[in-house]
Amino acid sequence: MRSLLLAVLAAYVVAAIHAVLAFINKRRALQRVSELAMAAGFLLHTVALGADWVIDGHYPLFYLRETLSFLAWTLVASYSLILYRYRARPLGTFILPLVSLLVFIAVVTHSVVDSSTNTIAVRDTWLFPVHTTLLFFAYAAFFVVFVASVMYLLQERALKLKTFGAIFHRLPSLTTVNEIATSSTAIGLTLLTVGIATGMLWASSRDGLLWHNDPKEIFAALTWLLYVSLIVYRSTADWRGRRAAWIGVAGFALVLCTFFGARMMGGYHVFG
Amino acid sequence: MSIVLVGVNHKSTPLAVRELLALSDDACASGLRSLVDGEIVREGLIVSTCNRVEVLTETAEAQLNETTERIIEFLTRANELPRTQFETQLYQHTDDQAVRHLFRVASSLDSMVVGEPQVLGQVRRAYSIALEAGTTGRILNRLVHHAFRVAKRVRTETGIGANAVSISYMAVELGKKIFDSFAGQTALLIGAGEMAELAARHLVNAGVSNVLLTNRSEEPARALARELGGTPVDFGRLAEYLPQADIVICSTAAGHYIVTEQMVRDALIKRRNRPAFFIDISVPRNIDPAIGKIPNVFVFDVDDLESVVSSNIREREREAERAELIVESEIMQFQQALRALESGPAVGALKQMLQDIARQELKRQRNRLGALSPEQESGIENLLVSTVNKISHPVLSQMRHSTDASDAEIIQAWRDIFGLEE
Repeated sequence: MRSLLLAVLAAYVVAAIHAVLAFINKRRALQRVSELAMAAGFLLHTVALGADWVIDGHYPLFYLRETLSFLAWTLVASYSLILYRYRARPLGTFILPLVSLLVFIAVVTHSVVDSSTNTIAVRDTWLFPVHTTLLFFAYAAFFVVFVASVMYLLQERALKLKTFGAIFHRLPSLTTVNEIATSSTAIGLTLLTVGIATGMLWASSRDGLLWHNDPKEIFAALTWLLYVSLIVYRSTADWRGRRAAWIGVAGFALVLCTFFGARMMGGYHVFG
Repeated sequence: MSIVLVGVNHKSTPLAVRELLALSDDACASGLRSLVDGEIVREGLIVSTCNRVEVLTETAEAQLNETTERIIEFLTRANELPRTQFETQLYQHTDDQAVRHLFRVASSLDSMVVGEPQVLGQVRRAYSIALEAGTTGRILNRLVHHAFRVAKRVRTETGIGANAVSISYMAVELGKKIFDSFAGQTALLIGAGEMAELAARHLVNAGVSNVLLTNRSEEPARALARELGGTPVDFGRLAEYLPQADIVICSTAAGHYIVTEQMVRDALIKRRNRPAFFIDISVPRNIDPAIGKIPNVFVFDVDDLESVVSSNIREREREAERAELIVESEIMQFQQALRALESGPAVGALKQMLQDIARQELKRQRNRLGALSPEQESGIENLLVSTVNKISHPVLSQMRHSTDASDAEIIQAWRDIFGLEE
């Protein structure tokens, strides 16, 4: 499936370059090229992931290569939703290059087929795809929160200090990025909650334990707490704007820890 | 064929001289009629605004100097000025330079405030005056229409007119950065100063739903409220209305803070921390600058707005560099269109060529026909020529059509088909 993934990479790179150029030059035509390339890439990507699943016989979320590719896919899906809902094109300028990078690493990474991992146990349960897919979409949503929060902070700072650089004029309004962050937080948290719940269900069905004290679980719990507090604060309106945006940034640091937690520190969660 | 532009603008010439050279619409029309004689100055157009007086003409290449001379003479005559007073300050552009200059003027690249939209309207009016006076023809019509096209391209493809360069419009621009859209937003106007009024007008045009107006003396606020379709509110109850206001514009003659930090803090609690945007155009300031420290409150005073305006002007200048590239590429396209225009005579040449072929063939085959009377001979010749004309008529009329449309590619194709030289 490498050749298909290469085509996907090419489409995403074209999309990313055009999104960056459209951001710099404010040209609509470039933006259209970017969106078309992204749509084509997403379609091919979906086919590639589906093919992986069918050919390899396991949900394509085992090896680092698959994980990164899948993460890129969820990011593109999330960005497409935002485009549809908010027309906030500047987000693509930051998301698409990352997507391209993820797919690039996926392409150059050789999957080390390690038969000792308990693939069999995983293959048997429907909970694995549900658990992982939900969490990956949650990660993507939190990344969107992160990007929107950074955009909020940049603009808020510019408005407070009254110094407007070239970037300021190209970002979506404070209200828009705030709304994107708020709704993405809600969606991400919902996915995270259900994702963690399915994980617990799966774990208890395997060895009767809900909690293994492994780093990934701990970080996931911390992440969950943080985003719950963000939601609560946002709804009580005390922490609107800048403070909420800072939590969105900090929350993403925790998400990264969660994501790479297992890899770096080992533990119960053996897969990426 | 040559295009000549002679004139002055705000860069070349001080206002004191420009105002002497400026021409009214009527003076432009009558001046054009006398300047354009159809032989030396074949076509003409005058752009006269507060920033420039420019005469654009079309002439034969050999008559370039004569044309310039006539334009200067015309400017002397029309304004009853000694030519020594302005002659040295005139600039003269010919051909590509003149085309570039017109494109830059129409695209607002040559304006005092780069990107201001008025100049295009002024060029449009100058053109309609010349059109009415009947002093534009094939070349200038094409040139001016091309200039309009360039101006449109520059406006849509660059951000040259994107960022506000006036203080009153800043309210709209910054508001958009905060609220995205003004639908459902409420603006509160404190005081009835001219600047505040202008800013409020811009906001209403941009779609602000509600306007509340208040003033220490009620009458001006009422009058303005009627005009803007807003609601006058009691000045003494300002604090009560503050929580409703998303955008507050303040411009009064008071010597103290009318909007205090405590008022804004209270208002923000009632607003559940929704962002609020304060613009203080008054000097001395009427809004306590300390409110800038409150989260979700954004406050701009006159100095802040001025500095944003000047940074926007710099941004426009950056965009202008990109606009110059568009102008350059359009000059090339115009040259092409011009070459196509000049191919008009090729139609006549082709017609002649086809008729010559008919005559030559007759001459070649004449011996075979035996003895003929002169009437019969000319009858045969007429027959041949009219047959050739009939056959070639649709082709020639299509060719004329392409020439009129100045479709350079098709004209080139015609040329290639019939082996016509340029």
